[in-house]
Amino acid sequence: MNRRVYLDHNASTPVHPEVVAEMLPYFSDVYGNPSSVHGFGRDARAAVDAARDRAAAFLRVRPEELVFTSGGTESDNFGVKGLALARGSGHVITSRVEHHAVLRSAQALEAQGFTVTYLPVDQYGMVDPDDVRRALRPDTIAISIMHANSEVGTIQPVRAIGALARDAGVPFHVDAVQTFGKVEVDVHAMNIDALSFSSHKIYGPKGIAGLYIRRGTKMVSIQHGGEHERRRRAGTENVPGIVGLGKAVEIRARDMKAEAERVSALRDRMWEGIRARVPDVRLNGHPTERLPGTANVCYRNVESESIVLGLDLKGIAVSAGSACTAGSVEPSHVLVAMGVPLDWAMGAVRSSLGRSTTTEDVDFVVASVTEVVSRIRQAMPVGAA
Amino acid sequence: MRYSPTLVDHFLNPRNAGLMRDADGSGSDEYAGCGDLTRFYLKMRAGCLAEARFQAYGCGPTIAAASVATELVAGRAVEDLLVLKAQEIEDALDGLPEDRKHAAEVAAGAMRAAALDALRRRPGNREA
Repeated sequence: MNRRVYLDHNASTPVHPEVVAEMLPYFSDVYGNPSSVHGFGRDARAAVDAARDRAAAFLRVRPEELVFTSGGTESDNFGVKGLALARGSGHVITSRVEHHAVLRSAQALEAQGFTVTYLPVDQYGMVDPDDVRRALRPDTIAISIMHANSEVGTIQPVRAIGALARDAGVPFHVDAVQTFGKVEVDVHAMNIDALSFSSHKIYGPKGIAGLYIRRGTKMVSIQHGGEHERRRRAGTENVPGIVGLGKAVEIRARDMKAEAERVSALRDRMWEGIRARVPDVRLNGHPTERLPGTANVCYRNVESESIVLGLDLKGIAVSAGSACTAGSVEPSHVLVAMGVPLDWAMGAVRSSLGRSTTTEDVDFVVASVTEVVSRIRQAMPVGAA
Repeated sequence: MRYSPTLVDHFLNPRNAGLMRDADGSGSDEYAGCGDLTRFYLKMRAGCLAEARFQAYGCGPTIAAASVATELVAGRAVEDLLVLKAQEIEDALDGLPEDRKHAAEVAAGAMRAAALDALRRRPGNREA
């Protein structure tokens, strides 16, 4: 088998072996329902409580301020809709580069009579806190801004935005799915009232995530049923998933800083290699305020999907910044919001490195990208696109 | 892999890619939905295709469809190229996924346009 290189860690990550080991007993040995009063249930409850304690310690919040959910999308829906619907009506501020889980939640609120301001971003994909200040209205009832963008990696000035939100008395939701466990998240210093985080981006299992809700923050549930999660999110707890999330968080607390430095260096080596060998390329996103492992590169006049296919055939997994579905191409809404010209935006390829990425991987990717892009460009019409 | 080995082979090893400066006819077609673009250059001899070259901008299937088309139509009369069907190109690729059918359509459209141009420029044609 040829070399296989996975550079799509912003999409998902392999579950850490220590996480798998920790989870295994909770499938067939400790299988009770945490809501049950008998011993089987109590054992499961103890595991859920322990995992919640771990996650809370990592975020430096109270365990009862965390609600487990089924994924980042549910956490974002809960955060945005939960804050807005608790206030009945009004104005919501978000940005044009949010994940679709936030954008479409905001659109759903618009359909229910809320008004929404979608803030623009600069060329690096960054929201200007002054734009937030100007967008604030007397009837503003929630602000939702992501911590880091999954496509280009730009880290938003959430501390400044949080300060504005606090001064205005407006609750602040942050989608931290891409930063939780990768870079420092401080809900106190950042004045965050609700924070979405996920497990499968940090070597935990899929299907488990969470929402931090600051004590005293008015929220309504969006999933109704039993009394689970202090009546904020109904549904039997995903015990193995929660245990896995707890372990993944514990490992990140240990490894996060060193890995961020290592992965950043590899990311920079990759970009420098590509820039030196491939003409007409540009790096998207903020030059310094950026996720450690993310490199979003545009290859001018080359369609990203053909690069992704070319690299896939070499065993390299990256993701396309534009998607061609049924013959209609949609350039990334993030790159469009950043003002990246179409002939560049159509050739965007995101690589996201992780704990398994090696120097050899990166050098192989640079050589492969050089070859694939050069071959595709040989067949390219002059002045196309 | 959602693409046939033939398609992958043409994507990895495109046949007849690149510009032809002294073409007897050239034509292109574009798929408005996604900006895919294919252009063919034809060299004719005695009314038949002597050489075809292509340039393409688009996804892997678009590049492969253009490449396979240059082999598919080798030696054909220009009149036959005027009626080239997308299905024939798709068949030559051993099929295309439903959401990539346009790759063959763009290639067929570009080939028909190039053939029409060659016909117009044929010596003796008053339109030339």
